This record gives sequence, structure tokens and C-alpha cells, in this order.
Amino acid sequence: MGLTGLEIYKHLPKTNCKDCGSPTCLAFAMALASGKASLDACPHVTDEAKEALDSASAPPIKLVTVGTGDHKVELGEETEIFRHDKRFFHPTGIAVLISDSEDVAAKAEQFDDLEFERVGMHYITDMVAIKCDSGDAGKFKEAVETVAGKTEKALILMTEDPAIMEGALEAVADRKPLVCAATSDNFEKMTELAKGKDCPLVVKGSDINDLAELVEKVVGLGHKELVIDSGARETSQVLADLTQFRRLAVRKKFRLFGYPALAVTTKDDPKEEIIQAGVYVSKYADVVVLKACEKQQLLPLLSWRQNLYTDPQKPIAVEAGLYDVGEPGEDAPVYVTTNFSLTYFIVEGEVESSRIPSRVLSVDTGGISVLTAYADNKFSAETITEAIKKCGLEDKVKHKKLVLPGHVAVLKGTLEEESGWEVMVGPREASGITKYAKDNFAGGVS
Amino acid sequence: MIIIGERINGMFKDIARAINDRDPGPVQEWAKKQEYNGAHYLDINVGPSSTEPVEAMKWLVEVAQEASDLPLALDSTKYDAIEAGLKLCKQPAMINSVPAEMAKMERVFAMAAEYGAEVIGLAMNEEGIPKDADMRVGLAAELVATADAFGISPDMLYIDPLALPCNVAQDHGPEVMRTLREIKMISDPAPKTTVGLSNISQGTKNRELINRTFAVMAMANGLDSAIADACDDELMAAVASARIILDMDIYCDSFVDVFKQRNR
Amino acid sequence: MAVEILKEKYRSKVGEVVLGATKEDGGTRSHTITVGGESALPYLHFEGEIPNRPVVALEVWDIVPEWNPCFEQYYGDVYNDPGAWAKKCVEEYGADLIQVRLKGADPDLKDHSPEDCAATVKKVLEAVSVPVMVIGCGKADKDNTIYNPIAEAAAGENLVMGVGELENYKAVTSACMANNHVVIAQSPIDINICKQLNILIAEMSPAMSTRIIIDPTVAALGYGIEYSYSIMERARNGALQGDKMLAMPMYGNAGFESWRQKEANISADEQPGWGEQEERGILWEATTAMAYLQSGIDILVMRHPEALKAIKGNIDDLMKNNSY
Ligand code: SF4
Repeated sequence: MGLTGLEIYKHLPKTNCKDCGSPTCLAFAMALASGKASLDACPHVTDEAKEALDSASAPPIKLVTVGTGDHKVELGEETEIFRHDKRFFHPTGIAVLISDSEDVAAKAEQFDDLEFERVGMHYITDMVAIKCDSGDAGKFKEAVETVAGKTEKALILMTEDPAIMEGALEAVADRKPLVCAATSDNFEKMTELAKGKDCPLVVKGSDINDLAELVEKVVGLGHKELVIDSGARETSQVLADLTQFRRLAVRKKFRLFGYPALAVTTKDDPKEEIIQAGVYVSKYADVVVLKACEKQQLLPLLSWRQNLYTDPQKPIAVEAGLYDVGEPGEDAPVYVTTNFSLTYFIVEGEVESSRIPSRVLSVDTGGISVLTAYADNKFSAETITEAIKKCGLEDKVKHKKLVLPGHVAVLKGTLEEESGWEVMVGPREASGITKYAKDNFAGGVS
Repeated sequence: MIIIGERINGMFKDIARAINDRDPGPVQEWAKKQEYNGAHYLDINVGPSSTEPVEAMKWLVEVAQEASDLPLALDSTKYDAIEAGLKLCKQPAMINSVPAEMAKMERVFAMAAEYGAEVIGLAMNEEGIPKDADMRVGLAAELVATADAFGISPDMLYIDPLALPCNVAQDHGPEVMRTLREIKMISDPAPKTTVGLSNISQGTKNRELINRTFAVMAMANGLDSAIADACDDELMAAVASARIILDMDIYCDSFVDVFKQRNR
Repeated sequence: MAVEILKEKYRSKVGEVVLGATKEDGGTRSHTITVGGESALPYLHFEGEIPNRPVVALEVWDIVPEWNPCFEQYYGDVYNDPGAWAKKCVEEYGADLIQVRLKGADPDLKDHSPEDCAATVKKVLEAVSVPVMVIGCGKADKDNTIYNPIAEAAAGENLVMGVGELENYKAVTSACMANNHVVIAQSPIDINICKQLNILIAEMSPAMSTRIIIDPTVAALGYGIEYSYSIMERARNGALQGDKMLAMPMYGNAGFESWRQKEANISADEQPGWGEQEERGILWEATTAMAYLQSGIDILVMRHPEALKAIKGNIDDLMKNNSY
């Protein structure tokens, strides 16, 4: 969104001299706001005003990159409060915390393995935070080097002592780590370090007001690759602060909060910690630092991140192909549906609750539902036949029968001709599948 | 869309007579009827011929508030009458209206700040109603900037771009639409917008059709409210549909009823 | 520097609904539970009131459920006795209320009679003193025969009963109307139908409009949860902006949805890349519930006692004031 007339007007000389061709400064401001004039037309506007107006038209939240190459993590540049208004763009970086006082090498290895295959997608735990608990610069540097040697993922260096930060940062500066953090006590040194190495910097306040003040100072020192942290650690306050960051940046163009935000969990119980992290992923954190490091703990959190950051305007597809429900044998029924994820999951759920091991053939319709795909010719005798061939269905079942969604019963004739399979017309709604299955397949497909 | 019910106006014979006889009947009947049909505010206007506008306004305000809980829009060019009315309003009211003329703005905005009232601002000044949108928007911006100086947030303002009858000033139509769009660029929060809906059809045939067509077109261009006949069912149905199409209400099969009944 | 905090000005709020009834009101519950009443988005105490904390139910079935074996150690000894099961949920696991699922009424399973169903509900009501919700077996034809006997047998208890759907809401609604119970209005992940169904129920009896709980049909993590999330966010925004027909408290069954999924159930042997099964299942359920809470849910139904514990801890945290 551009600037409003009133915002522009505040930066104009307000003399109504008419040199720009408009009768008043206000009228000129309105012409600018609606894109009908350019700022150059006013010869009297000051350089400060020009700069203020320029920066006000930048995106509401800056894009900040941590790490390099294939493992870089892009944070921020969000534009929405609600995902349903458009979408969220840059998934929250999930960072696992390693203390320099624990078995660093072991935990780093465990961390690097926190990747998952799920429904045809690859989930990655994308950041690792090394924290100085030892108070020993040498030990911290060694820990950072150890982690850097074990993983190529993006690094966060956590110490508020610039003397300890310096050595470690020196060692891994080419990895572009996130320097964490500048506080009111150390910001001059920390800013100098981060700026000197061209690395992004976390600015940590003692509350939201203190943070704003501190960001202003750090920006004043010439560093703009920032990530913000209000310093709050109680779930409810963090939720409030993260909400204010997002709202003020997006709706009010409040520049001091126009940076990605970082949140840190506090819970010691891993289950409680994952839930706490989930709240921050849901509501506006761009990086979450947590201690949990077991596969069964990270998988749910990364799945939630993946779900939340999908584009609501785009239908979500599951990978097309043949899916087993239970352990289907040669006589198991085969249901045909589309690869629109919602349709597919509902069908799968119903087939599952029939308790009859089955197969579901998900046809590639570009992720749209049965009726829409049918109307679009993407769910047709040809596409279904092609899908049957591609997945090798013939070798997996000994019968030649398919269940077609009731809504597209009209396809029965052409599909039978095209594919050579016998088509059974199933229920119109997925909710009818369980009964249908019990009525027809209680003893397998005959 | 916020509907300001236009019917309690001394221009109408039944209301003029009621004011004259101090007979609350017709006033209260219209207050209830408009509320029932989905109005959000009741416009209160003593009419052009009133000889005692202050007293008449006070009476109307009291009588209307006995019958309905809706907020009132006090409609007069006599600011003393408005101020007398504001003193009696049980909840924040709306002042209808003020042009972009400094002396009048100062009087009205000071009053609005004191009573927490919203204000309808007219896109006109001493020189009358400008024809083109740029000038109208410029006047709107002056209203916003002046209100701002009185500590009144832009979203307390309803800017009326002033629609003229379409049979005599057809060329104003597109300018009014453009004005509605550009008013939203004045500030953040933006001022709201309003129109006196029936002005557009003064002296034409098929008035209701023109009114409701204008209403939905204007809504598509950012119109937030209208001073209108809340009892015009076709108008209300058209507004309800426009709100659905513009994603302002969540669709359901009973969307027309839901819109009309929201205040009940 | 004093930052100017941005608070939304909402026109309206979510309606409050009371669940259960004490002796004074003709029931036998030790206390009632009030849900709803929010005048702010979830847990943004700084801009409005969150007067009632969301509540968490555990589910009791009238037949032995075929759940993951990991539930054996929690419920195995009470699977055969809905009363004892309910008591354990409340006393040992800390459920705020109980949802009875009359799965056994399913003609394809045990085909329990309406009288049996009513007796089961009675048994649960006698065993626990918290408010109770009752859900049918999911087959509309059968469920329509059990609502009335249950509603009558528990008259005065202010049960929550469900579910009413667009094509089939009258039987359960009239059973609730006649005996003063609360109805669950279920829509298939569709906000338009959600709104329309509420209108239709309110048209049957205006008094029912304050006795509706919205079930937007929630999906599990990884299986369309983002659709439910956005629909609940939109409904709640609508409610706050004055859409009365969306201004009811919301309900969702995180336990049932999550434990249908492979991610909760598959063993670590079969899927070593996903880690240990039980903790994964607990977190699949609790993360699902966490997301519902963030989109505005008021009544959660859970299954695993550990998931319930984690989510109650999260609710405690979220209910702390965060005003500036
Ligand atoms: S030239 Fe500049 S100072 Fe002069 S009227 Fe235009 S905007 Fe105002």
C-alpha cells in the first residue's frame, strides 16, 4: 500500500505556493497519493522529507537472510495479519538450541538429522542456535566451530557479551550467522561486530518500548539487517508483543518494528515446549529458538509450519498415485478420487473407517476437487486411465474393478471403454463410503 | 453499509404536522419502522420551514430516543439546533453536516470533539460544489486535515462527495465515483464516506431503481454509508447483495434477511 | 519511547453459552461451565475481554473403542464401564467435562437401542458431576431416534447434544428445545453453511440462538487443519465485527481427528524417521489442539491424558493478562 495524502502532506512545506501546479500542498499530496504527480514537481521539498517519503514506501517488513547458499533462511517480508487475506510468505525458521556446556558434537549430529519425509514433502529443521552458557570465549568458539563442522544449516550465535561473540563470529562469519543479541548494555559493540561482518543482528529489548528505542539507535549506527525480540518470555506476553510487531508494521508502517521477529521458548518439558513454540509459529514469529531435539517432537511442529504457510488461494495437492489404506491384498477394493488434498484426505479417512483394507487412486487434477476437475476435463476417462497405467494397478489387484465418485457417474461408460476396467458407481458424498464399503466389499472384491 | 434512515424530516408532511402539534405518534412510528427495517442511525431534521428550530430539534431528539435505541444523525444548517440536540443524545450522535469552510468547520469540529460526535463533511465550500473529482478530493482532504487539528480521528468523519440529480448533472456521476475511491487515499485510517442517496434521482422517473443502482455502484467504489429510505425493501436487498459480492459479509442462503435483521 | 499500541475496536462479541445445570436450575451438576463471551481475538487480553477460559473434554464411548494400544494403560480398565471411565477422566486426568460418544448405537456395530443410549448417558451423569456432552453414532437415521429419549431422560441437566447438520438438524434441535439442552451445529468446513445452519436453528426457536455451539468440522494437523484454522479465524472475526449468526462458541474434537492419522499411530519400527510413537501421537494431538486454540476454539475434545495436560498448561499460560 502506498502512502496516504495526509502522510505525504505532513512532509510538504505547507506554503501553498502553487509552484507544483496544484492549488495547495494538500491537493498536491493527494495527487501524489493517487499516483498522478511525482514528488519532483515540488521544488521546495527538503532532502529529509524526500528520504522519509522514500522509506515509507518500502515493504512493511524487511527481508532478512541468515546463512548462505542452499541453506540460507529468508525471514520476514510478511504483509498479512491473517493468512486467509492472502498468505504468509516466509516460513518461521525453527532453530534448535545447543549449549556450549553440553555434548555439542552429539547434539549437532542429532540436530542435522531432523529432516522428515511426509506426504511427498521434505521438512527441514532449518536453523541451529549455539548458546554460550560457559562464559568462556574459547569454549564458545570451539562449540560454534564444532557445530559449523557438523551441519551446513543456518547458525545463530547467542551471547550478550561482545568479547565472547567476537571470536566465534570471526570463525564462522562467512556462514552469515544471526548475531544474537544487541541489548541496551552492549548495542554499540554488537552492532559494530555484526555490521563489520555484514551479518544480521538480533536487537533485544527489555520490553516493547525499550526495543523500539534500541532499534532506532542501532539503525542510527548504520545497521539495518535486524531481527527484533521484545525480551518477553511468558507465552501470553510474547503472543501480544508479536501481534503488535506485525500489526504496527503492516497496518501503521511503524518502521522500528518493520523487521522479522524472534521468539524463544521457556518450557523444559518438551511437549509443553513444542506447544509453546506452536503458538509463536501461529502468531507471527519469524524465528523460534527451542531446545527439543527429538524427531517425534519436531515432526508435529514442522508439519504445522508447513500447513500454516501454504497458499490458501491455491488448492493443495497430494502427490498423485496409489495409496494403501491398511494392508490391502490382491482382492482389495480400489477407490478413485482427485489429488485435491481435502478431497483425498476425506476419502482416505472414510475408507479407513470402513476397516476394509483398500487402495485409493489419486488422479492428478492439479489439486482441484472432483466436480471442478470433471468440468475442466481433468478428471476424465483419459486421465483416470492414464493414472491406472502409471501406478501399475493391474499388477497389484487380481480383479478389474474401480469405485468412481457418485458425482461423476456419467463417466462410467467412457471410462469402461477407455480403460477396460469395470466401473462401480460409489456414493456421491465421501460420508457414504463406509456404508458402501460394508455393503459391497465385506468379503473382498468378487 | 451503514444506513442513516431519512424519514424523520420536517420536509415530510406527517413529520411537519407532528412537530407542529407536538404529537410524538408519527415520529416514533417511523423511528421504530426504520429500526425494524435495518437502519443504523436515524436522521433527525426539523424541516426547512420550522420557525423554532432549536426547540423543535430538542423535542424530536427526545421523542425519537423514547422509541428507538439507534444513534441519531442531527441534520440542520443551524448549529445551535444541533448543539441543543447533542446535549440530549443518550449516545454519541452524528452531526449532519459541515462544508469545507473554515468558520463552519471550526464551530462544528469543536462541538464534535466536545460531544464525541461523528461528522458528515460535505465536499463543497463557499464556491459551491466542484465538478471534478480532484477538487472534491481536495476539499475532503481539507476536512480531514482540519478535523485532525481538533483531535478528531479521520474515521469519525463521513465525507459526502455530493451527488447531483442525474437528469441535470449527468457528467458529475463518474466524478463522484472517482471521488469515493480517492477519498480512501487521504489518510489511514481513511475517512468514511456517505451520500444523500435520493439526491441522485430528484425529478427523474423510476427513482427507486436509480437510487439502488447508484447505491451498489457507489459501494463498489468505497461508499460506507447512505442517508436513505430504510423501508425501501428493494434497496436494502440490493445493498445486502452488494455486501456479499464485495466480501463485506459472509455469505449464507438467508443473506438478505440477515442484513435486514441485524439490528433486531 | 512509548509505542502506540494498536488495539482493534470491535463492534460486538461472542455470545456466552452455559453448559450443565446445578440443583437450583433443575440439574444435578456440581457446577456449570460458561463458554464464549470473547470481545477480542484469541488471548489478546490487551484489546478486550476473554472472560471464560476454553474448556477441555475427554471422550467416553459406550463400546470398547479400537484405539491405539498406547491407550490401554490409561483406559483399559474402564473401557467396559462408561461411568467408571468418565470418573477416571475427571478425577485422574482432569477433564473439565465429558463427551459421551454413543458409537454403539451404530446399526452396523452394536445397534444399541435408544433406551440403552439414554441409560448410558444417565450412568455417566451419575458417575461425574461435571457438565456432559452427548454425540450420536454418526448415522443420521439412527441418531434421530436416540436424541429425544436422551434429552428427556436428562431433562434439566443442560446437556450439549449433537450433531445437527444442514440436512438433518430438526430432530436434535427439537429434542434440545423441548428439554433445554444445548445443540452442536456442525457444518462441513464451510463457513456459509455454518452461518445458514445457525440461522435455521434460531428460526426454529429464537431461544435456541443462545444455545448453539458451532462445530466447523475440524481437520487434523497435516490433514487440512489450515482450512479449519482459517474458517475459525474468519468466523471469529465476523462475530467480533457484528455477525450475530457466527457469534457462537466453537467446538472441535482434536483427539478423534488426530488419532485417525498415520502420524499418531505408526510405530517407530515401521517409520524410524519419525521417532517414538506415543510421544509423537500426543504431540500430533496437542499441536492440533494448539492451532484450534489460536483460531478461537472454546471447547476442545481430547483423547490422550498427556495431550490434555500439555494443552491445559498452554491454556493457563494464554489466559495470563497481557495488557500494556
Ligand atoms: S510546490 Fe511544494 S510547497 Fe508549493 S504548493 Fe506545491 S507542494 Fe506546496
